[in-house]
Amino acid sequence: MNDLTKVSIDFEQSHLVFPRLIAVVLAILLIAIIIRDHKRILNALPYWKGVFQNMDKMRFLGALGVTLLYFSLMVPVGNIWPNTGSGFLICSIPFVLIIGLLFMHERPMRSVISLSIVSVVGPVSVWWLFTYPFFLTLP
Amino acid sequence: MFEFISPLFLSLIVGGTMVGIIFGSIPGMTATMAVAVCLPLTYSLGLENGLALLLGLYVGGISGGLVPAILLGIPGTPSSITTTLDGHPMAQRGEGERALKIGIVASLAGGLISLLVLYLFAPALADFAIKFSYVEKFLIIFFALTVMAALSSDMLMGIFSGFLGIFIALIGSYDISDGGNGKYRLIPPGTEYWLDGGFSLLPVLIGLFGLAAILDQAELGVPKGHSANDVKVTKANKFSLSVFRGQKTNVVRSSLIGTFVGILPGVGGSAASILSYTNAKTFSKNPENFGKGEPAGIIASESGNNGLTGGALVPLLSLGIPGDSTTALLIGAFTLQGIQVGPLFIGNSPETWNAMIIAMLIANIAMFIMMYFAIRYFAKIVTVPKHLLFPIILMMCVIGAYTINYGIMFDVWTLLIFGIFGWVATKLRLEIAPFIIGFILGPSAEVYFVKSLESFGDLTIFVTKSWIAVVLWLLIIGSIAGSVMISRKSKTRA
Amino acid sequence: MNFNRRTLIAAASAAAFASAPFAASADGLPRNVRMVIGSTSTGGDTYQNSAIVAEALSENLGINIKVDAVGSTEAFKALNRDSRGSTIMIFHDQSYLGNLYGRQGYDDPFANYVVGPTVAINPGNAYLVPADSPYQSMEDILTAAENGERVRVAIQPGGVSEIGFSAMKNAARVRAPGSEENIVAVNTGSQSDKNQAMWDDLADVINGSIQANEQFTQLEDGDDKAMRFVWITARDATLGQAPEAGMGGTTRDDMLAYASPETSVTLDGTNDFTFDKEFFFLFNPDMDPAIIDQIDTALAEIYAAGDIQERQKESFFIPNFLPSAEATAHLTDKRDTYADVITAIAGN
Repeated sequence: MNDLTKVSIDFEQSHLVFPRLIAVVLAILLIAIIIRDHKRILNALPYWKGVFQNMDKMRFLGALGVTLLYFSLMVPVGNIWPNTGSGFLICSIPFVLIIGLLFMHERPMRSVISLSIVSVVGPVSVWWLFTYPFFLTLP
Repeated sequence: MFEFISPLFLSLIVGGTMVGIIFGSIPGMTATMAVAVCLPLTYSLGLENGLALLLGLYVGGISGGLVPAILLGIPGTPSSITTTLDGHPMAQRGEGERALKIGIVASLAGGLISLLVLYLFAPALADFAIKFSYVEKFLIIFFALTVMAALSSDMLMGIFSGFLGIFIALIGSYDISDGGNGKYRLIPPGTEYWLDGGFSLLPVLIGLFGLAAILDQAELGVPKGHSANDVKVTKANKFSLSVFRGQKTNVVRSSLIGTFVGILPGVGGSAASILSYTNAKTFSKNPENFGKGEPAGIIASESGNNGLTGGALVPLLSLGIPGDSTTALLIGAFTLQGIQVGPLFIGNSPETWNAMIIAMLIANIAMFIMMYFAIRYFAKIVTVPKHLLFPIILMMCVIGAYTINYGIMFDVWTLLIFGIFGWVATKLRLEIAPFIIGFILGPSAEVYFVKSLESFGDLTIFVTKSWIAVVLWLLIIGSIAGSVMISRKSKTRA
Repeated sequence: MNFNRRTLIAAASAAAFASAPFAASADGLPRNVRMVIGSTSTGGDTYQNSAIVAEALSENLGINIKVDAVGSTEAFKALNRDSRGSTIMIFHDQSYLGNLYGRQGYDDPFANYVVGPTVAINPGNAYLVPADSPYQSMEDILTAAENGERVRVAIQPGGVSEIGFSAMKNAARVRAPGSEENIVAVNTGSQSDKNQAMWDDLADVINGSIQANEQFTQLEDGDDKAMRFVWITARDATLGQAPEAGMGGTTRDDMLAYASPETSVTLDGTNDFTFDKEFFFLFNPDMDPAIIDQIDTALAEIYAAGDIQERQKESFFIPNFLPSAEATAHLTDKRDTYADVITAIAGN
């Protein structure tokens, strides 16, 4: 009986022990889910079609696209003036502005002006705070 | 005896607490970062004054996390995840201010109780803490993990999500500084360059809670108006201390759990609030209300994570070993001044020891007063139009992700990956709360589980190691049985 | 007026034009330099050392230097990406030991990077036993191994913490071939894990440091946590520069008793093995060599002025400035010695 509970672990292979254990548990749970929810799973394609049909495509995909662009540009722009946080500063201002405009429903002059002010003051003050008093690296 | 108390000493504590609160209340900024940023300043301040600043930052940072957790549904720090679970639903039904006040009172109680424990029992507790070997630590983590079952609305999906969280947390190398062998696993071919260190917790957290929530809103076309349309501002349910009636045990228990988790080196700060929450739910008379805006949940979570503050200083000051990532930085403040911390510290430096206790006490009180009166202004955040609030939140999330590990761009991409994952996951009915808890606790569960078997070579060790192990098993069984009962109850009702 | 999509696009392209890049260049180090380090802790010895050096350098050169604790793999990646000198690195012997021990993520720093000047030594690397251990000295431990007794040593594998353990095995091999098999590693993580391994009776000897473990050696008899030093790996010349009062209740003379030559862990039968944890610069291989000269010159001035030494000694570091060329030669030698030790015991 005691031999059944004995386990010997080789340190060199010990990085695989836990991932395997968790993978087995996950597989079992997945099978249980498939058995229980097979109807819902078979219905996945029409469900996702519905999701994409009902979504506000401009706002959702726009936000995603702008964020992607923002992340991709930050480092190359920052590399022009290394270690000054300028990549963050230069990219954040248009990012905040564009996301703000995208999420607005009507764009009356007043709101656009207040958004423009926020999109300049916000990133600049954050950039100043992190670069000078906090002395942290920004892209 | 109290010569160290000077106007500078006091203003450093208050100032530190204030900056800490600000750090804690910005999603993506943490107490650890606040302490790291200010650590170099302490060299010129001298030991007592430097510690005053850092301890203020620590207490403020841990406490500030409840603000975005409750108002925005984004945990400001990993240790306020369980605050989100009940705090945000309360805010959504118009009780944001009440939830904040409950959280602050609970934080104060947690901070003070743990401070008392620290002051009275530090050396004795450290001697007890070293009785916890790999086996007992694994069981503690396991107990914390059982909350996954309790948090899921659909038990099967919830547990699957939790294990998925553990699995994803294992991606990368088996961390050598935790006792692993440093080898890579679960990394998809071709991504080693980015994934060798795995995904960091904070970007994952703010991706799942921050970015995903904004994507959800974008999908719906960002419903008009400001956030206050989702979060009602009503005067109907005002805060009064009566909410704490019948919660005394909860407060004391959660604070002590928080303190104790802090004392155990290597268990990790976020486990404190998760464990308190699990316990509160297990022993509650109406556990089915947890996760739907139950004040007891906020009380447990907040007194737990502030309980951590005193606890984490116990091993630091009586063994020279930090109890969590923030106190690890405090060691730096001592070595900067050429002061040793170890088992002789309290006896050798009573002056510094007193200064620290006083600083913690003042920081807790200052935290309470500042937060209590600032709440009115904090609560206004929900009246800011979404088109102004969301881009700024996104920008702050980026800063948080980038600076958490001192400038790693992959952490920013992690934020995006998990933002999208969070949006998809809710559509697949995966559950985010168990997922993130699995993700947080997964790595420590691994190390302690594998090391237990490596050292003792026998599965029975998990039961036979000590009486502590047996007690932990009873708690684990109690927690699982509790969750099963609750889910049965809600099924028959439905 | 309402903004429509067309005006938005026009505004966006105007903004893009206005922020068009212009090049900035200068000789020597750029105005804003990022110093990455091989540790993720801002409370640890690597960070402290780097911060001291960064502060002195930025003052001397009139530039900004930020220290970022990104950890070894990320630090090497950042260094690789930037050959302009705006990213430099400070790390210690782990950089090549990780490579010698074959850890994933560690390239050979001598082949892939340029090794720059050394700045300081942390002399603290030590081995300890429980206070009530039967082993009084390294001699006892090596003799025990010779007599077939198993000695378990708690270390963090793959680097600075393992090299002393490898040296013990090597010394056992030199004294009595085959006896090195009786010295076995208990693989743990942080210092707290190593201490815990001792208290859980999973290890007979642990790796530690003077700074973190000294107070445990001063505990009263009967305290279960009490420890004793058996070996400090630093060279006696290094320890000799430590403050005379030493640290806590352990004076410099006490420390010297645990270090070579008084405590001998032999390298080859005649010389003793020693290990100093040295902090040094690492540069991108394509960086302008003029920058290295600039840093060498600046450091020479800083060390000649003498303030930095005081600052380092306050934090129990030993000042150790070697300009790039000397440093590279010294560290290459050191690496070769350790490589021999590691291969000598690898066969078994």
